[in-house]
Amino acid sequence: MQEEIILSDEEIAILQEIMNISFGKSAADLADVIDTHVVLSVPFIKIMQVHDLPTYFKDHVKEYKTISIVEQKFWGRFKGDALLVFSSGAGKELIKMLQHETSPGFESDPIDILERETLMEVGNILIGACIGKLAELLKDVVTYTPPMVVVERNYSDAITENRYDPSSTAIVLKTDFCFDKGGVSGFLFLITSKDSVTWMKEALRLFIEQYE
Amino acid sequence: MIFNQIFNSINIGLIILDRDLKVQRWNRWMESHSGIAEEAIIGSSVFDAYPNLNNPKFNRSCKSVFSFGNFCFFSQKLHHYLFPFKSTSYFESFFEYMQQSCSMGPLRDEHNDIQGLFIYVQDVTEVAIYEHKLVELNLKDGLTGIFNRRYMEVKLREEFSRCKRYGGELSIIMFDIDFFKKVNDGYGHLCGDFILKSVSSRISSIIRNVDYLFRYGGEEFCCMLPETKFEGALQAAERFRNAVMDMENNYDNAIIKITISLGVAGLNEEINSAEMFIKKADDALYKAKREGRNRVMPMS
Repeated sequence: MQEEIILSDEEIAILQEIMNISFGKSAADLADVIDTHVVLSVPFIKIMQVHDLPTYFKDHVKEYKTISIVEQKFWGRFKGDALLVFSSGAGKELIKMLQHETSPGFESDPIDILERETLMEVGNILIGACIGKLAELLKDVVTYTPPMVVVERNYSDAITENRYDPSSTAIVLKTDFCFDKGGVSGFLFLITSKDSVTWMKEALRLFIEQYE
Repeated sequence: MIFNQIFNSINIGLIILDRDLKVQRWNRWMESHSGIAEEAIIGSSVFDAYPNLNNPKFNRSCKSVFSFGNFCFFSQKLHHYLFPFKSTSYFESFFEYMQQSCSMGPLRDEHNDIQGLFIYVQDVTEVAIYEHKLVELNLKDGLTGIFNRRYMEVKLREEFSRCKRYGGELSIIMFDIDFFKKVNDGYGHLCGDFILKSVSSRISSIIRNVDYLFRYGGEEFCCMLPETKFEGALQAAERFRNAVMDMENNYDNAIIKITISLGVAGLNEEINSAEMFIKKADDALYKAKREGRNRVMPMS
């Protein structure tokens, strides 16, 4: 399959800058919502064929023995799939960190439900924060599907090959995050399809116009 | 106008809160389950009527809706409910309150600024009951209500590998009702079932919370005793034997006395699989049978 130019170098640079700004804002607001500081790295943008995605993910998470994944689809004019990958043991750390209040009738439920739900809650907040701020800068409003979660699986069976339509091209926005409490870390991947590209090019142009 | 009609006739609860978490709208579904009329609650903080919502998770969720335009989900599994409403289920009252799956999200004005949030409430009580029943069916023996053999294999393997990896004591007792065929032949199979249930409930009543009692098959049972040394398990087995021997099983005005034979195994270095562990206890049980029944036999 031939490589096609989807976003120019200049557009990628603008997108990178927008992500820097938006993730900076997310981190500040996240500290207020979940009461811990989240450090988000400078995001990295890569354009690739969808069938290369699983290998790309695996290369990034292979130092983790097991991983937990929270996945959420988002759609506005900016639409796609957010995958938040947590390092092993993250669920239990997050439970401690958030000091989850026990709700009535909870005693009979096993700990893994709490772990699942905690990952889901934190994942939902983190994904929403990053995408929400990004969409806001690009003057878009997005909605989300309920998060899905995979808990503590070996990384090679957690990321399956048949998740995406292999014929399409993806724009992958990747950022590393870590929480200053509890040593939880991982990656956030935003995968958007080519469908969002036309809108994105226009939004990037409008964004930069404000400063020109 | 049309949206108002849908708002009030839809079969889910819908609530709109402003940025101070004061109620703006409260649909008919909410009125009928809460018993609070919309006029009565509009303008007051949702915490006035439902102080249980004033908890970290709910507050965190509201903040994330207002800060990021997030959608937040409150699953039945973890939260059970947001609003303590009476259960509407036709089933036996398994849950005290209606089980709810809830979600919240932002409401924006024409400038895309978030002015409030919506919450929707779905009644999932029946699904939760079905799920609970499925889990029960999967783990428990239908007749006696104690754990089944499938669960025994899972649990024993888990406990076995935990002890092998981290150390710790583990013992099992296999036991079997003596001359059970005679009960069935002499009093009928219903009486046999009655005896199985009586023995299960008697033994369940004298084991610790951390112990597991399984029906292994037919009239054979297995009790797993975590963190218990072999000698402790032998004493427990002796208690089981006495408890069953003392039972006065009253069936159709007849008192049926029964006894059990027991084999006890304690985990040691020689035992290298869960299957071998069971076999040790099972061999001891058969030895107890051969040597005259109604006795406890340690593994060899």
